[in-house]
Amino acid sequence: MVAASGLSKRVATAAGPLDILADIDLQIHAGEAVAIVGVSGSGKSTLLGLLAGLDLPSSGDVRLAGHHMNALDEDGRAQVRGELVGFVFQSFQLLSGLTALENVMLPLELANTSAPRLQATGLLERVGLAERLTHYPKQLSGGEQQRVAIARAFSMQPAILFADEPTGNLDSSTGETIIDLLFELNHEHHATLVLVTHDEALAGRCERRIRLEAGRVVEPDGTA
Amino acid sequence: MNRVTRWRLAMRLLARDWRAGELRILGAAIVIAVAASTAIGFFTDRLGRGMINQSADFLGADLVLESPRPVRTQWLAEARDTGLRTSETLEFSSVLVVGDRLQLASVRAVDAGFPLRGRLRTAAGPFLTDAEDVTTPAAGEAWAAPRLLTRLGLNSGDTLAVGKQSLVIAKVLTFEPGEAGSPFGLAPRLLMNLADVPATGVVQPGSRLTYHYLFAGSEQDIARYRGWLKSRLGPSHRLVGVQEGRRAVGTALERAERFLGLAVMAAIVLAGVAIAMAARRYSERHFDMSAMLRCLGATQRDLLELYLAQLLVLGLLASAAGCLLGWLAQQGLLVLLADLLPMAPSAPRAWPLLAGLFTGLVVLAGFALPPVLRLKRVPPLRVLRRDLSPLPGNAWLVYGAAVTAVVLLMWRYTDNAKLTLAALAGGAAALVVLGVLGFVLLALGRRLHTRVGVAWRFGLNNLWRRRRTSVSQILAFGLALMAMAVIALVRSDLLTTWESQLPVDVPNHFAINILPDQVEAVRGFMDAREVPTTQIYPMVRGRLVSINDEPVRQAVTKEAQSDNALNRELNFTWTTELQEDNRIVNGRWWRSGDSGRPLVSVESKLAERLGIELDDELGFTVGDERFSARVASIRSVQWDSFRPNFYMVFPPAVIERFPATYMTSFYLPPGDKPMLIELVRNYPALTVLEMDLIIAQVERIFRQVTLAVEYVLLFVLLAGFAVLFAALQASLDERLYEGALLRALGASRRQLRSGHLAEFITLGALAGLVAAIGTECIAWVLYSQVLHFDYSFKWPVWVAAPLLGAVLIGAAGYRGTRPVVERSPALLLREG
Repeated sequence: MVAASGLSKRVATAAGPLDILADIDLQIHAGEAVAIVGVSGSGKSTLLGLLAGLDLPSSGDVRLAGHHMNALDEDGRAQVRGELVGFVFQSFQLLSGLTALENVMLPLELANTSAPRLQATGLLERVGLAERLTHYPKQLSGGEQQRVAIARAFSMQPAILFADEPTGNLDSSTGETIIDLLFELNHEHHATLVLVTHDEALAGRCERRIRLEAGRVVEPDGTA
Repeated sequence: MNRVTRWRLAMRLLARDWRAGELRILGAAIVIAVAASTAIGFFTDRLGRGMINQSADFLGADLVLESPRPVRTQWLAEARDTGLRTSETLEFSSVLVVGDRLQLASVRAVDAGFPLRGRLRTAAGPFLTDAEDVTTPAAGEAWAAPRLLTRLGLNSGDTLAVGKQSLVIAKVLTFEPGEAGSPFGLAPRLLMNLADVPATGVVQPGSRLTYHYLFAGSEQDIARYRGWLKSRLGPSHRLVGVQEGRRAVGTALERAERFLGLAVMAAIVLAGVAIAMAARRYSERHFDMSAMLRCLGATQRDLLELYLAQLLVLGLLASAAGCLLGWLAQQGLLVLLADLLPMAPSAPRAWPLLAGLFTGLVVLAGFALPPVLRLKRVPPLRVLRRDLSPLPGNAWLVYGAAVTAVVLLMWRYTDNAKLTLAALAGGAAALVVLGVLGFVLLALGRRLHTRVGVAWRFGLNNLWRRRRTSVSQILAFGLALMAMAVIALVRSDLLTTWESQLPVDVPNHFAINILPDQVEAVRGFMDAREVPTTQIYPMVRGRLVSINDEPVRQAVTKEAQSDNALNRELNFTWTTELQEDNRIVNGRWWRSGDSGRPLVSVESKLAERLGIELDDELGFTVGDERFSARVASIRSVQWDSFRPNFYMVFPPAVIERFPATYMTSFYLPPGDKPMLIELVRNYPALTVLEMDLIIAQVERIFRQVTLAVEYVLLFVLLAGFAVLFAALQASLDERLYEGALLRALGASRRQLRSGHLAEFITLGALAGLVAAIGTECIAWVLYSQVLHFDYSFKWPVWVAAPLLGAVLIGAAGYRGTRPVVERSPALLLREG
């Protein structure tokens, strides 16, 4: 489902070129749940960005459900993301100008699906926010905002879900509830899950973990 | 995303941003630009059409021949033979006396055919509804303008006398076709029958009269007759067709339109700056949303359309509001100038609204589009890394778009490429100079910051830190304050100069058209009443036609060809004594043997304009007779002394053979005015010009016109406030965060508020200082080069402008930064 070969990301800094990621090869199969772990600055988020087609590598190749992401232009990658990918972020990334319902409807509307309101309402009910449909993000708690983000991520029935530190901005009990919800929905939708975290406990709930250290994979196939 | 979805989403986001106050400045700036543009558009369009489109009606004919004397009957016979209809009128000034009131009237005697084009309009009484009237005053009748009746306390049916002839006021005249040359006519009109003129005794040899011969017919016949007549015209004749009439009216209006247009441009450019600032902030606040939308699969095209739709709808809504405001504002302008307008303005048309919308969209495209275009280039990776921003817009694109918009609009307003370029270059130069000045002042202010308290230090530091926006705000307000200060200054100085020129003993009345056989009697009349008069001078009207045997138009420079002195009759006189307020600057005054010698003394400014020098041989005509004289002296004249003065003064016995009337000036205290009635009754041909009243009227016109200009400048000031609030909004996030941090560190609300107050008071005072410096420079140039006033240091401006700036901007800035202390610091720090 997701494959990377020889993936590197090099950036220019004042002190000369810096390799953020070097020579990464990995395979993630359909339906698998994989955690990308490592300390701050190890390149986890950069790898997620490359795998999700949000950024282009300096060298190497990313295939997402058979699409060569490097070969596509930005609008082409946007189309692949719109059709196949869902995102959950640490900072929720809800559009403050839209209500909870409208936030969830947005990807459906972008893809011109029929009856987006009905689908979005169903999803929000599923994440326990039936009473919060017309609330704006500012009127919701952190946990509620992340539920809206999860509902949005699953609205398009994505083949792959990328989650970047989904509990990073939440207290531990709320975080746990959110993770339960995430895994439940992932299971229901048979989606592939790629989760970036520095929380080993959270990583433990995935089938496999990929550990990064200074931009290199150190435990390519190891299990916990 | 399909188009419907995009638009629906766009409108939802727009509504949300509007409710959250994100778009207020952007919207307000568009409203100001459009309102200014629409107001002036409506105003000039309504007046322009009122005056220009009715040019033929205004002229009362297709062609008018103007002459100070009756023309040969053969000319009129030729016109009738060509198939033209003709009509004849005679115009003169006369003082009308009723009981103890008197009023200078501009009398027009007409025949039954008048007017050939257009219609007279009359009413039964003053201020009653008027209607078109196809008749003309019958013999023994007069039709009077409402103003004349109110001044004289008369009503229709009453009787008044023109000279020795009594006339019954049959109707009230509300509109009269005629030459539309003077929109601000000073003397009200009286219309009478041509057949009654001889009985008035007003027409005497040498009287100031104007004959108008009106012609109407087919275009070809008019052209043929015009060709025939042209070769026969003498220098004192003037031929006015519909074209010339339109041009004469058009020029005055065009100038007004250009001036107002430039004021509007200043408002638009300032509003544009505010729009650019607000659009930049809008763009930056939408980076995250754009990145998220890209993440969710939106294409660049989706984003572009999403934002353009919002911009377009905002632009249209704000422009519509601006149009409405502009319409209200022009109504205000019309009310303000109601007394001055020669006629009711035409009904408003729709095009200024379209032009207003166009202005709004062009300004928006020029100033807001470049920052908004950045939004489509937001990298989707920003959802993971918030520090990623799209590349800043290409500077060429950003400034190019703004300059294109300004040039486009300015060209529309001035309709003149040269003026547009000159205004742009002048504006740019002024911006650079004032900008550098603002920067220097800011730097000087900063040097103070070690010597002031903590609040002021905080304020001054803020200004310096954001020095680019600070300078732009100083410029915006400096320009607005400067424009207003210059207008106010010129107004008050012109008025005080006029008033101070009328001290108690200076003549305040002219008596003209004194007949030769009445000179001694008038002198006796004045002496008997102990009215001090100046000398009584003879006055002969003639034209300057050649200089050193070369026709005058060829002899003078190109600029001087349009000099008024060449297009009308000048007043000549003869005297042995040099007038009290005249001074010989070159050559010599008459000696005892000069009497009868063909010599002339020329007024110095006229000589300078026409390039006349000592010993030049000047050719003149009086009536049909030519004669010449050698320039014996150049004379400076103090025109504002309110004494009789002349361009050309001859020695005795040179022009005495021509018909002359006499004139004098005298001082009359207001309480002695009734004497004028007696004077005019005794000598009906004599005309009294009440200079005190004329000056009062000119003052009133001037006050109203400058008031109208200041009214337009209000838009400039408003646009300045838009810039201030846009800059405030742009820095608000940063201010909120800093404020929260300072409060967390122990600063009190009061300290923060004092700091803000200090910052904006300083900003306003600096803007006022820039305005004062600019005003001083402009005033110096204006006074010494244009108005020829004595220039003095304008210290009140140096006090008033910084004070006004400090109060206005201090208050606005204080108000604008209120959220900084109102929001909870804990919340702010958590969000930041």
